[in-house]
Amino acid sequence: MHYVRAAVARIAGVFTRFRGDDDLRAEMEAHIELETAEHVRRGMSPADARRQAMLSAGGLTQAEEAVRDQRGIPLIESVAADLRYAFRSLRSSPVFAIVAIVTLALGIGANTAIFSVVRGVLLKPLPHRDGDRLVYLRQSMEGPGGANINFSVPEVRDIREGTSVFAGLAEYSPWAAVIQGEADAISIDVGLVTGNYFDVMGLAPVLGRVTTPADDGAAAAPVMVLTHELWMTRFGGDPSIVGRDIRLDGRLVTVIGVLQPAPYFPDRVNGFLNMVHSPHHLSAQMVQGRVHRMTEVVGRLKPEATIAQAKAEVATVYARLQSEYPEAYAAASHFKLAVIPFKDAIGERASVTLRLLMVAAIFVLLISTANVVNLTLMRGVRREHELVVRAALGAGIGRLRRLLLLENLLLAIAGAAVGILIAVGGLGLLVSLADRYSPRASEIGLDATVLGFTIGLSIVVALVLSFAAFLPREGSLSSLISAGMRRMSGSVRKHRLQHGLVVTQVAVSVVLLAGAGLLNRTMMRLADVDTGLRTEEVLTMDVSLLTPANAVAAFSDPSAIPAVHEKYALMQREIAALPGVIEVGVGAPMPLRSTSMRFEVKAEGKVLPAGEPLPRAESRIATPEYFGAAGIPLVDGRLFTASDGTGPELNVIINKTLADKYFPNESPVGKRIAWTGEILKFTPISPAWRTVVGVVGNTQDGGLDAKPTAAVFHPFAGSLPIGAGLVIRVDSNTRALIPAATRIIRRLAPTTPIEDVMTISQYKDRSIAPRRVNAALISAFGILAVLIAAVGIGGVLAFSVSARTTEIGIRMSLGADRAQVQRMILREGGSLVLGGLLIGVAGAWLGAGVIRGLLFGVAPHDPMTFGAVTALMAIIGVVACWIPAVRAARIDPAIAMRA
Amino acid sequence: MGNPYDTVMPDKLDVKQGTLALMILRTLDVLGSLHGYGIARRIEETSKFRLTLNYGTLYPALVKLEQEGFIKAEWGESENNRRAKFYTLTAAGRKQLARETREWHETADLIAAFLAPKWEA
Repeated sequence: MHYVRAAVARIAGVFTRFRGDDDLRAEMEAHIELETAEHVRRGMSPADARRQAMLSAGGLTQAEEAVRDQRGIPLIESVAADLRYAFRSLRSSPVFAIVAIVTLALGIGANTAIFSVVRGVLLKPLPHRDGDRLVYLRQSMEGPGGANINFSVPEVRDIREGTSVFAGLAEYSPWAAVIQGEADAISIDVGLVTGNYFDVMGLAPVLGRVTTPADDGAAAAPVMVLTHELWMTRFGGDPSIVGRDIRLDGRLVTVIGVLQPAPYFPDRVNGFLNMVHSPHHLSAQMVQGRVHRMTEVVGRLKPEATIAQAKAEVATVYARLQSEYPEAYAAASHFKLAVIPFKDAIGERASVTLRLLMVAAIFVLLISTANVVNLTLMRGVRREHELVVRAALGAGIGRLRRLLLLENLLLAIAGAAVGILIAVGGLGLLVSLADRYSPRASEIGLDATVLGFTIGLSIVVALVLSFAAFLPREGSLSSLISAGMRRMSGSVRKHRLQHGLVVTQVAVSVVLLAGAGLLNRTMMRLADVDTGLRTEEVLTMDVSLLTPANAVAAFSDPSAIPAVHEKYALMQREIAALPGVIEVGVGAPMPLRSTSMRFEVKAEGKVLPAGEPLPRAESRIATPEYFGAAGIPLVDGRLFTASDGTGPELNVIINKTLADKYFPNESPVGKRIAWTGEILKFTPISPAWRTVVGVVGNTQDGGLDAKPTAAVFHPFAGSLPIGAGLVIRVDSNTRALIPAATRIIRRLAPTTPIEDVMTISQYKDRSIAPRRVNAALISAFGILAVLIAAVGIGGVLAFSVSARTTEIGIRMSLGADRAQVQRMILREGGSLVLGGLLIGVAGAWLGAGVIRGLLFGVAPHDPMTFGAVTALMAIIGVVACWIPAVRAARIDPAIAMRA
Repeated sequence: MGNPYDTVMPDKLDVKQGTLALMILRTLDVLGSLHGYGIARRIEETSKFRLTLNYGTLYPALVKLEQEGFIKAEWGESENNRRAKFYTLTAAGRKQLARETREWHETADLIAAFLAPKWEA
């Protein structure tokens, strides 16, 4: 108990020490008087008595100090004094302080910003209940489009029954729907989910309820759960929406609840529907077809189960399935099943980019810290005298070290404060970048953890700065003092450290520049990629008259289809009549966009070598004008005519990739191909032979950096037009055409959303925009690094020149001319730059493989990039050395030696 | 320094860590209310001038005891009408004195037992 009282008293003492001082002095005075009186009583003269009393007191000041230490908390008080001193000391050299703070702010700001993204997107716990127990299952196979082929219902059932680690496995199918309002229509992405989905995902409603297993099955009423975002954007956060019916794909669906905000994966959906919304999902095809893979699977591990156990159990079941149903898992396609923690799966796409940015940011901090260390060292040499005097007056090395640490802490904290401002400024850009890679971008922010990270970082920086400076060693004081004058050059050890820091700065800059160079070359290559299309003056727009739900209904009842075709034809005709329009085509999907309608293709009379999987081609549909409007060249044969697709004969056009695969040395025209594979029986696509009437050029539908996929075009007239749109070629000014074209579509199809209205070149730009931001960020870091490094080189050399002024004066008076002096300084700087270049190029060479996945059209060890980076760094290095070298050459020997 | 009236200076001892608080408490217990100078004198006399106390040792100890609540201080008039700060034992101080005295005896016994003459083999 008395410890607590003592502690409280001491803390209070920190604040009341001045009042206590008076009290103490009075008490001491009384003591001396009492003692003096005693001496006098025993016969001393009053003067002697007082002197004796003072003597025996043994140093009043020390006594006062000791009592003060006991009364308050000495550490805090002396730290406060040091802090005041450090503050004054920095204020007296404002240029140093400002340069150091700005340099540190750049480094710390970059790290704070990037770390806040890393934390929001990769590290933060998921908002789902016990989110660390969620796993995502992914089935993949080799070949285009095989990275994620989903699961069939029987596969999910077998995994569920064959494993014991899961508390639940939920099914989810991506789906698209159209909300038809009174005056407009928007198309939304939704998830068709089993009733246990929300329980498995650990998501709770903020309003109403979520679906439960009671909402499964064909007898359930169609219901919808809104995401928080859709509720806010479409319904203005109106709580009365719960229980209301909304029109979805032409029929009424009851909204039963609004979900908590959460990242949605694998698709960014706007809402969830129960399975009854799609009769197809309840059909025997879907429920019994083992290769009818349309379902995503998420699972929740039991509390005691580990991810390793889950992997092992799932692998066992999967191996059994593969041996039981060999026809569903063609050996040549190398089927795989991965069990991935949900958080990792969400962060997968962002992870490489973010790690790269984090490393780049750390590099920038490294360079800026090195620079400030150099500044501190130079300042330290000038302060050496002051420190020596303080040490001689009794300040311990520890106390001096603490003083420096506080000074550096002040610098680092000020740097961090400015850095946080920089981070806040750059966060908007980073969030928009992260949004392209991760559904968790909205979770990015400067929260307590990020600020903790920043403060931790600045403390580390301050420690580094403090221990890089050398303090006079105990015992060496006398020699330092007897040297008498201010020393300018510092020790050899300090010199080496400074030089080492410059070499490091150059090396790290080279690595960053090389990364930036490679990414920028990738951007150039991507921009140069020939899309196989005309990119300018071609407007595309998605106009989906058939929603997926309507389309599925049309499988069984095709009577509605001719009306849809008629409506597209009408749009085509009316828009073609607008002034400036050259050609209008209709097709699905739009050029440069890929489709999941991908199936195996065989060619009549062609047998592939054993073990080679059949090629998979995209099934696309097009009117005769589609090719001309999009600028897709005809390579062989003919385009479609108006009669194709209307008669009994089945004609198709294939692209060059497919033609080269099956008909490498002959014309495919007149040959026959057919769709094949188990999956076809679940689609309306017939496996009948089709005659190739023409071959068209490849287009980069799978992305600019992907190999062109094989494609088969069907005549629009005979096909089910799912997800179709218009391709409009104009003679100039595409923008001016948009209002007129959309007016026509609105009139003809008032409840159909018109989306992605843009030219092909805009679409192309959009597809590479995230990579561009990424490359720009790395470039910005690289440029920043180089600038800081250049300042560092110049600064160290300038300091070296000023330290060697006398020496240079002697050399010149002994006959060295200005050119020789200049060369001498350039040599000193040049050797540092060269050393940094060698290490940097070696480091970049070794590290380049890491970003291989982010590159396109350029090798990680691209000699041109490396050459350019080396040359650039060398030039900047020489320029940075030049100024101090010229200044050295201007030294007047007479003045230098007299100084 | 020490006692200026003794011509023969016995060996000086430093005040052992932790024993000073006990001495102060005991002094106040015996003499009641006393000022700092008086405490110092009394301790020096009791130790037959083998201990000397300078202010740097005494006053921090007094502050500490006061912080711990074992003694309390108030300004008053000394025997020759000087203002001085007088220290008095509190109830908690009395308890602490009893405890420390007991502990000290135990320690002393223990050390005595260790330092006892060796047995014959």
